[in-house]
Amino acid sequence: MPQRGSSQTATVLGGGSWGTALAHVLGCHGYDTMLWMRDDEVVREINEQHTNRTYHGDRHIHEKVRATSNLAQAAGHAEVILVVVPSKAVREVAFELGDHVTGDQILISATKGLEAARLTRMSEVLREETCVRKVGALSGPNLAAEVLAEQPSACVVASRFEEVIEKAERMLAGPRFRIYGNFDVVGVEIAGALKNIIAIAAGVSHGLGFGANTLAMLMTRGLAEISRFGEALGAEPMTFLGLAGVGDLIATCTSELSRNHTVGRRLAQGLKLADIQKEMHMVAEGVFTTQAAHQHARRLGVDMPICEGVYKALFEGAAIESVLQNLMARASRYENSYSPIGEPATVTGSILDYATAIASREGNGREGAAKVARNGEAVS
Amino acid sequence: MRNDLRDAAVVEVRSRIVAACIQQAALPDGLPLDVLINETLYFERKRLTADKTSPTWAADLAFWDDVKSRLSRAGEAEMRRLLERIVDRFVGEIVGNFNPWVYSMATRVLPKGLPMLLNAISPKRLLTEGGLPDIGDTIRIQGQVGALRRSQERGTVILTPTHVSNLDSPVIGWMLYAAGLPPFTYGAGLNLFSNPMIAFFMRNLGAYRVDRMKQAPLYKDVLKEYATVSMELGQSNLFFPAGTRVRSGEVEQHLKLGLMSSGLRAYIQNLRSGKAKPNVYVVPVNLNYHLVLEAETLIEEHLRKLGKSRYIITDDESSRPRKVYEFLRALVNLDGKITVTVGDPIDPFGNAVDEEGESLDPRGRRVDIRRYVQDRDGTYGQLPQRDRVYTTECGEAVARAFRSNNVVLTTNLVAFAMFQHLKAVNPEMDLYRLLRTGGDGAGVEMGLLADRVRRIAEAARKLSDQGRIRMDETVAGGQPTAIIADALKHFGTYHATPVLARHGDRVFAEDMNLLLYYQNRLVGYRFEQVVAEPRGGAARSEEEAA
Repeated sequence: MPQRGSSQTATVLGGGSWGTALAHVLGCHGYDTMLWMRDDEVVREINEQHTNRTYHGDRHIHEKVRATSNLAQAAGHAEVILVVVPSKAVREVAFELGDHVTGDQILISATKGLEAARLTRMSEVLREETCVRKVGALSGPNLAAEVLAEQPSACVVASRFEEVIEKAERMLAGPRFRIYGNFDVVGVEIAGALKNIIAIAAGVSHGLGFGANTLAMLMTRGLAEISRFGEALGAEPMTFLGLAGVGDLIATCTSELSRNHTVGRRLAQGLKLADIQKEMHMVAEGVFTTQAAHQHARRLGVDMPICEGVYKALFEGAAIESVLQNLMARASRYENSYSPIGEPATVTGSILDYATAIASREGNGREGAAKVARNGEAVS
Repeated sequence: MRNDLRDAAVVEVRSRIVAACIQQAALPDGLPLDVLINETLYFERKRLTADKTSPTWAADLAFWDDVKSRLSRAGEAEMRRLLERIVDRFVGEIVGNFNPWVYSMATRVLPKGLPMLLNAISPKRLLTEGGLPDIGDTIRIQGQVGALRRSQERGTVILTPTHVSNLDSPVIGWMLYAAGLPPFTYGAGLNLFSNPMIAFFMRNLGAYRVDRMKQAPLYKDVLKEYATVSMELGQSNLFFPAGTRVRSGEVEQHLKLGLMSSGLRAYIQNLRSGKAKPNVYVVPVNLNYHLVLEAETLIEEHLRKLGKSRYIITDDESSRPRKVYEFLRALVNLDGKITVTVGDPIDPFGNAVDEEGESLDPRGRRVDIRRYVQDRDGTYGQLPQRDRVYTTECGEAVARAFRSNNVVLTTNLVAFAMFQHLKAVNPEMDLYRLLRTGGDGAGVEMGLLADRVRRIAEAARKLSDQGRIRMDETVAGGQPTAIIADALKHFGTYHATPVLARHGDRVFAEDMNLLLYYQNRLVGYRFEQVVAEPRGGAARSEEEAA
């Protein structure tokens, strides 16, 4: 493989909307890019007409992008391989890829999603199915059409390895595309996957005719619960304030084009999940993610009211009105500590102060005393 | 390490460290030599001020005073000489005195010598008291001994055992001997050398000395390089990745990777120099004791540390010969076993390894691991950040092995059942209060304890079927009463206060700290949930069993 490792090659797996856009960016940056996909007809279309009409209409795709349906050839073509196949297909493709890759190569997942059973992240799947250690994840507010139209945008590349971040930066950074690095792979991938749940909620809000206030509330409190969930899995909270967190959330929740948003709007119209799926022919990623988050939030001991609401609407047929009512009727809380307003805060310094605080609270006497006992600092 | 190898290692370490120091000093953002020496001087003087008990205190002080006075007026050449002297001194301390005669003698008398070492009492006493139990019978060796031997033939091995007791290294020594393997090189804390008997043997069975009080980065580099060079010379190393004995009694999950990174460095160096057998294998080993010699001291320090005051144990049960003797007596009389479980070898990147020593990917396909450390142009090189991640991942693989090769012993199981019960019936108590009061002090009815024990044993069996934990014979037998009886027998012997005692139909916790210590070995398997189920939950556990 004489080509391998020469600085001007790249491989992208997956000829969908985002994979094609990334291949185009690499082509623009002067990389001989091999774009792998299963469909031979699309391969021919890209190689002969330099278009991918299924996703991008007549938009021209750079000549340096060559399509192939031969995975071995694609894997051997470049040191760095971007994996952009649908989340449901990543494991299968990665397993096959495992026959062709070697330990010096780099795999970067640009797919957002999780495997529900063990909450496996996409870069973990790559790690579990191949010998490659240098894996990473690319995420952020990147609507493929806008990237392809060369509108200014940015993304995050996360990896445990500096080498992965540096090489991705060299290949992808350009006058219209900024790259940020992050070592918090867990945070970046969790943020990218879970934001889809909030996007569904945003769609509901839009469908009910609510305005900016409601949307802002959903996004902010939604981010808070995503962030708590991520932290329970070992992510750093700051990551959620970055491009993969807030950034992607804003892009997804404000764009009406996203499939998740559509699911939400249809829910607001009173449709059930089965009907929506029939109508869309395709399942929105957020539907799976909602299920996964619901399954694991309890195990992790994380409170996720908005996700729960979306889950009830999607899978338990709950009426949107009642879900909304329940959300709004929740106990008022302090923003930072997340403790309920009206319950005495735990005072660690003085037992007496604590007891006095409870006693002075109207109508809270009994409840408060019970709480003291529970904290093990009983004042009898 | 053999005499000639040791000399070669000393020379190599010195030249590498000095060369690296000079090289980096020449870089635009490198540390100039005088700053480097000053930094080392600073750490050493700080150490000497803080602790004056070291036997070499006066000599050390004189040495560093001399360094200080020379440094102030040293030119370029004098600075290098100073650096060489410092590195020489560090290497000398690490290697220690080596007596080839003792080495050969000790190697020959290994079969007798190791039990003696285990007893850690004076040979005179051995002769006069006589009738000493055969310790070899007390150590049960299981797991991948064959794979360990093959790894040793195919390359260099880093043995990474769990660490609970100062008896660990002699026990490992015995295991190596019994497996027909030569002694391994290993770094032992200076405090271990305070028992003259242990010190005598350790120094002469491949141990080098690690002074944990020395915090200078240069010292740590010398230490790491010594391990690296010894591995390049084909010396297999023993290294406890927990760093020190685990205080809490838990299976260690946060590992120190210092010497594991030496394994990767040695591997890369071997590739560069075209060694015929470049491979380095990491072999995790689990040590399980029914009773732990230093349990009282360890758990006490753990609790103290939780409460934020930290100190290093320099004196504990293992430096008191009588205590060691009583401990072993108890163990042997009870027909107890120290279980040594040799895990599957892995490569320095954490990959599994097949019968022929070739690395496998997670799906069992062979991997050319040289590629992990190859540059674009095909040369092998170190890349510090990359190699740190590789080592972290190797450490994660070792931690997983520690978990799945942990052996559930009766003492751990019963302590776990008892402690979790006390916690459940006293939900209002925090840990400290629970430890102080022992709960309500009413003990637990035998039948109830047996029910808890049975549930945990069932859960353990399920995990063990999936290869996620191991069980000893009594636990595998699954008879709650037999398990409790065996645990009570052990608990009643060695420790000053029995951990658990039976009075009539009830079992009482007599020493809460030790109870916590022994139960902690089973933390991390979610057995808590099994116990926490209400009593009516028996139906559910039956359903689970089905």
